[in-house]
Amino acid sequence: MGVLRYVAKRLGLYFAVLFIGLTITFMLPRLMPINPVDGYIGQLQSRANGTLTSDAIAELRANLEELYGLNGDLFTQYVSYMKRVVFSLDFGPSFTYYPQPVSAMILNALPWTLGLLLTATLIAWTLGNMVGLVAGYFHKKKAASVLEFLGILLYPIPYYILAVTVLLLLAYIFPIFPLSPTFPVGQMTPEKIGMIFYNSLLPGITLVLAGFGWNILSMKALAVATSEEPYVTYARLKGTSNWTRMTRYVFRNALLPQVTALALSLGMVFNGALLTEMIFSYPGIGLIMRTAATGGDYNVLYGAITLSIVAVATAGLVIDLIYPLLDPRIRTK
Amino acid sequence: MNRLGRLLMTSAVGALTTTTAFAQAMTDVGTPRSETLIVQTFDGRAANPSAQNPLNSYAIWRGFRELGWGYLWEMDTATGVSYPEMADGFPEVLNEENTQFRIKIREGITWSDGVEFTTDDIIFSLDTAFKYRDKLTNVASAVVYIKSYKKIDDYTFELETVNPSYDLTTRFGVYTWGTPFNWVPKHVFEPLGDEVVTFQNAPAVTLGPYKIKEFDPNGFWQLWELREDWQNSSWGNLGEPKPKYILYKDFGAEETRALAFVQNQYDVDTFMSPDSIDAAKARNPKVETFSATFPYHDMNDACSYGVYINQQRAPYDMPEVRWALALSLNLSQVGISAMSGQFKAAALPLPDTPITGPIFYDANLEALKNLTIGDGYKPFDTEFSTKLVETLAAQGIDQSLLPTGDAVNEGFGVGWWKHDPAEAEKLLASVGMKKGSDGFYTLPDGSPWMIEFVIPGDWNKVLQRLGFSIADSWRQAGFNVNARQVDNGEFTTVQNTNARNELAINWSNTCVYNANWLGNWNQFRESNIKPADSTDPLSGNYARITDPKVLALVDEGAALPLDDPKFVENGQNIALQIASEMQIINLMNIPTTIPTNSTYWTNFPKQDNFYAAPYTWWSSFKKAVVSIEPTGQ
Repeated sequence: MGVLRYVAKRLGLYFAVLFIGLTITFMLPRLMPINPVDGYIGQLQSRANGTLTSDAIAELRANLEELYGLNGDLFTQYVSYMKRVVFSLDFGPSFTYYPQPVSAMILNALPWTLGLLLTATLIAWTLGNMVGLVAGYFHKKKAASVLEFLGILLYPIPYYILAVTVLLLLAYIFPIFPLSPTFPVGQMTPEKIGMIFYNSLLPGITLVLAGFGWNILSMKALAVATSEEPYVTYARLKGTSNWTRMTRYVFRNALLPQVTALALSLGMVFNGALLTEMIFSYPGIGLIMRTAATGGDYNVLYGAITLSIVAVATAGLVIDLIYPLLDPRIRTK
Repeated sequence: MNRLGRLLMTSAVGALTTTTAFAQAMTDVGTPRSETLIVQTFDGRAANPSAQNPLNSYAIWRGFRELGWGYLWEMDTATGVSYPEMADGFPEVLNEENTQFRIKIREGITWSDGVEFTTDDIIFSLDTAFKYRDKLTNVASAVVYIKSYKKIDDYTFELETVNPSYDLTTRFGVYTWGTPFNWVPKHVFEPLGDEVVTFQNAPAVTLGPYKIKEFDPNGFWQLWELREDWQNSSWGNLGEPKPKYILYKDFGAEETRALAFVQNQYDVDTFMSPDSIDAAKARNPKVETFSATFPYHDMNDACSYGVYINQQRAPYDMPEVRWALALSLNLSQVGISAMSGQFKAAALPLPDTPITGPIFYDANLEALKNLTIGDGYKPFDTEFSTKLVETLAAQGIDQSLLPTGDAVNEGFGVGWWKHDPAEAEKLLASVGMKKGSDGFYTLPDGSPWMIEFVIPGDWNKVLQRLGFSIADSWRQAGFNVNARQVDNGEFTTVQNTNARNELAINWSNTCVYNANWLGNWNQFRESNIKPADSTDPLSGNYARITDPKVLALVDEGAALPLDDPKFVENGQNIALQIASEMQIINLMNIPTTIPTNSTYWTNFPKQDNFYAAPYTWWSSFKKAVVSIEPTGQ
């Protein structure tokens, strides 16, 4: 019964977060000083060399508002939006690229973002934790401080500087990777898959380097603190090996906060893509969101941000639900 | 480094060199580099690459209007003169009111799938536009312009316009960069029925000599291939297109683009900052700017930059205030700090190009010199360019890079307004505006005057830098200016909404390409004026021109044939009237860098080889496509 109540409470919180998130997502773009219909009419005026008459623009404006679902008061639009999103995950057409459905735009971009950022985040997390564990467990040894230095060196470098440096080094001075990759299209073949992998390596390496440092430092701090716990001392007195103490006593206990951090960073993958995609000309959801934000493309913004909210909230829910399984202290509460 | 290390390093460098050399022989999309012209896309990456239906919003910047679509009439951008493309001559006018026309098209033009282009395609395109006018988003320009149309035979049709149309060849053809309404293939679209409104049309069946070979669904690139039957295409009669392939690709952020340019990965760029171009030129002698001497940029865009003033609002409704702002602006200093001195000043509300210069600037030069304001003050400075060159020389610019003689005015303009803050102070004092104890001017009632000046954020870096420099210049002269950077979306809203706009840097009403000023200034109409505090969007006239003299000149001119001397004269008078009342503080021609790399292709349009506007995103790029030459590399 306690477990059921715990799960029900977490699920309730989850849906509340989603509801509030969706509502804010609906409201935020409308508070922006941008009108997508104006923007589109402006483009048309430009293409038509300014020859559209005021009557023509009035007609066009009415048509666009109807097509974009911007008719009616705010509440009517909100109800219609919630119905569409909740029941059919339909975000409507893109305003800027009408009649392209938002869901199709996101679905095209998502695999790229997920493929690169998920992989890079997992590699950075795994490598960072391994190095951090060794640096923390052997923190009194000089060699370990070299590992810590790696984290201290990498962590504070702004991502943009790091990315441009890597690009300059590995794509210009030593042109191992392309400066501006061209991703192959059409039917996938092993060769094309290889090209995609090769073209993704440079942004991947940069992302790993950028995420790596923080994981080293945080795991090192956790490992130092954990290795000084009485149960680790007791294990040492029992005669366990360094390896056993490091992996079974320190690592397992230091890992919990890192798992939380991993879950949250996986949730943030959706909106962390922008700079990477801009610098490395990499396809994904970040650039779509940027274009949508500057062009007042509400529906695309809804779609992308909603996805991000769902991902972060779900990651939080999963963590909350599996934590009791990992940590008996929480289970007893 | 030990012996093993040296061996490994040598092998690695050798392998890389071999790989690079091999990579340069073929492009990333599998075409021979020597047969492929590669251009940086104007808008970067497309978010809608599969949207290729011109009746809706489509991926316009991937080469469609240059290589894909076909026009009845095209524009020679070196001279500003229209010429027939798919039309067989110019339209025959059928009535005195100039509303009825008979148009013939050339026989033997085929779509890229081999089907012949006939008037059936034209009639079908118009039928579709009218039938679905409330569902299609890119047909407004046609349906509000045309009253009726009919097929005469397969190569002849007639149409009637709503109003007298002396500019039919540019309204239904090309004025500058392309046409607003494109023909669609009946044999592809008709079977779709109502689904035509959501049809993506990818890859599109096109009319130009190139057809789409492949495009990246992620929007980074689009590859065009020359049709074997290119002579039957819409502009096959222009000559043989030289590249077998043309690749439009986004090479990413400017840093990456500059590096890729140095590596000869592409041939023509769009906008690149002077710093990046200098860096690229220093590393690769094949990288060239539009002009060999200062200013290096191309200045032939149809539009010019200016400060648009909401003249409907106090205190900007007083010409003294507008003139004070103009005379307080040190354009020379602004241009040097924001653009390294690489700009061409333009005092009239339009660019000063080889086409517009003789029509508008030469005609008004004496009037500008003799113009007086206030108590007889003459504000025009004919020495502006000469002084600018002297300043640049004093700042250490190599004399050999600076123009001399007539080239000074050709490069930097025939003059601009004097920088005279003392005269500005006199003008403001005449309307009761004086500096307060904080050193800033106050409003006539003595209350603080804070100017909100809207400028683009980093989505337009040139204007962003220009805006901040202007604000700085005004602050030095005693104006309390808040330069507010905005996103592209908000910029449009500010432009369109009276209640949101005070002063903004802009270009949308200062686009005049040749003697036909109607295209843009036609917006200066009574119907496009809304109250000063209106929150309703404007439908044009973003410069908020309310001067009855200008409105009357536009009204009269719109009913005149374009080649009527009175029509041209009206345009000249509109330009002078707007400048005399300082209704727009026009600044300069839009500088476009257009650096090229001549490793694989030569004979691009340049200042001293100006056979077409050098923009790869204007439909006139087709002129470059038939004129460039392969180097054989």
